[in-house]
Amino acid sequence: MNEETIICPCEDVTYSDLESVLSLGAETFDDVKRFTRCGMGSCQAKACFYQVSKLISKRKQIPLSKIPYTHMRLPLRMIPLESLLGEDKEKPVKTSLSEGHANE
Amino acid sequence: MNNQREYEVIIIGAGVVGNGIAYHLSDKKQKNILVIDKGFPLSGTSGATQAWVWVHGKKPDTYAYFTKCSAELYPELERKIGDIEYARTGGIEPFFSVEEMKEAEKMVQSQSNAGIPVELLSREEVLKKEPYFSQNVVGATYSPVDGNVNPFKLLEKYIKANRAHDVTFSFYNEVTGIDKKAGKFVVHTQKGKFTAEKLVLAGGLWTKKLGAFLNVSVPIEKVRGQIIVTEPLKPFIHHTIGGMMRQMQCGPVLIGYSMEKAGYDRRSTLDIIQETAKFGIQYYPDLAKANVVRCFSGIRVIPEDGIPILGKVPQVDQLYIAVTHSGVTLSPLIGTLMSELIMKDTTSISIKDYQISRFSKQSV
Repeated sequence: MNEETIICPCEDVTYSDLESVLSLGAETFDDVKRFTRCGMGSCQAKACFYQVSKLISKRKQIPLSKIPYTHMRLPLRMIPLESLLGEDKEKPVKTSLSEGHANE
Repeated sequence: MNNQREYEVIIIGAGVVGNGIAYHLSDKKQKNILVIDKGFPLSGTSGATQAWVWVHGKKPDTYAYFTKCSAELYPELERKIGDIEYARTGGIEPFFSVEEMKEAEKMVQSQSNAGIPVELLSREEVLKKEPYFSQNVVGATYSPVDGNVNPFKLLEKYIKANRAHDVTFSFYNEVTGIDKKAGKFVVHTQKGKFTAEKLVLAGGLWTKKLGAFLNVSVPIEKVRGQIIVTEPLKPFIHHTIGGMMRQMQCGPVLIGYSMEKAGYDRRSTLDIIQETAKFGIQYYPDLAKANVVRCFSGIRVIPEDGIPILGKVPQVDQLYIAVTHSGVTLSPLIGTLMSELIMKDTTSISIKDYQISRFSKQSV
């Protein structure tokens, strides 16, 4: 493994990208994920979780088993947006003007 | 972090607000700054957002103007701290009925009078700007100052700039108590005691608890927002779409509109996600076939009257507070004004509407 080794193939995250966030004090996979996009891609960390955890374990001197798993969210695998459509398709369109402001 | 225990300024909270203040303080040569956070940056609200830099339509108009001042600071911030993917895309707030158009006209009028660049777009104008938008649109309000930023890069660049300015960070270190002895703040943490002349509470959702250590009541609410992330798609949403969505520079579309009071429950729920999918497709019908990669949720911190809490805390000398919704939009302005207040005891733009004292006046 060298600096350019790709750890997360979905998001092209390299070993040196991970080192950079570990040096800021990251302690979990999700800390690393938010700073680098590692694990945010189509496989949702299935490919990179183990590699990253091994690295954290080594750097922080904590057993691999103590590294929490990444926060799982629905869907477990990719699904088309339309498959989430419910039954009542006639609902009026929601907008900020009709519903009050939700803008960040 | 080093072994130093005495600081001039301690900031509690390493999100976009706390880091923005640390950045502007250290950029103005303030020395001896410590930033403490109970977790790692981006683990709270700053890391779970669509990260719009949004101006038009905020109420009241004076607050919209305040956010415009912040949006205008982003290009300079990016020049100084590095690439944060700030994009002034322009913001489109669509409507689908004639009734809503009347509301929109009123809003455009009053915001224009307040100095916000905003206009009404016809259906044809919306579709010209956003060719893939739903043909059912009736019109939209539009402002060229709205946009978005990459919140992950924003925090990363803030932290790197702050470290280069000798700001000390202490992550994974929860504050367990605060008191004041001989004119100095004593901040008790999981990693020991720290003292400071000046203390800034910028802990987002957790600021209520921080305030309670000093008998300061911080009237804020928690409001959950749930978001759908699609697979990366070719660029086809060119603007930030008010109330609903945007496309990231690396391709995924973020969709989310929900506001729920669910305490600090950050789970995703199927009912809201289904509704979000429906609205996303109603806005951009071509999204129906796009794959969903993930959902996430974040908890907004919203002061009880909806506008920021900024400035000094009158009952405790040298105590400052900065807690607000729209932290991403406001980060550069809050950083600028709070650093002026802390170092020079004055601000270049008035923050009198945002003082925490407004809440105690109401109860009298």
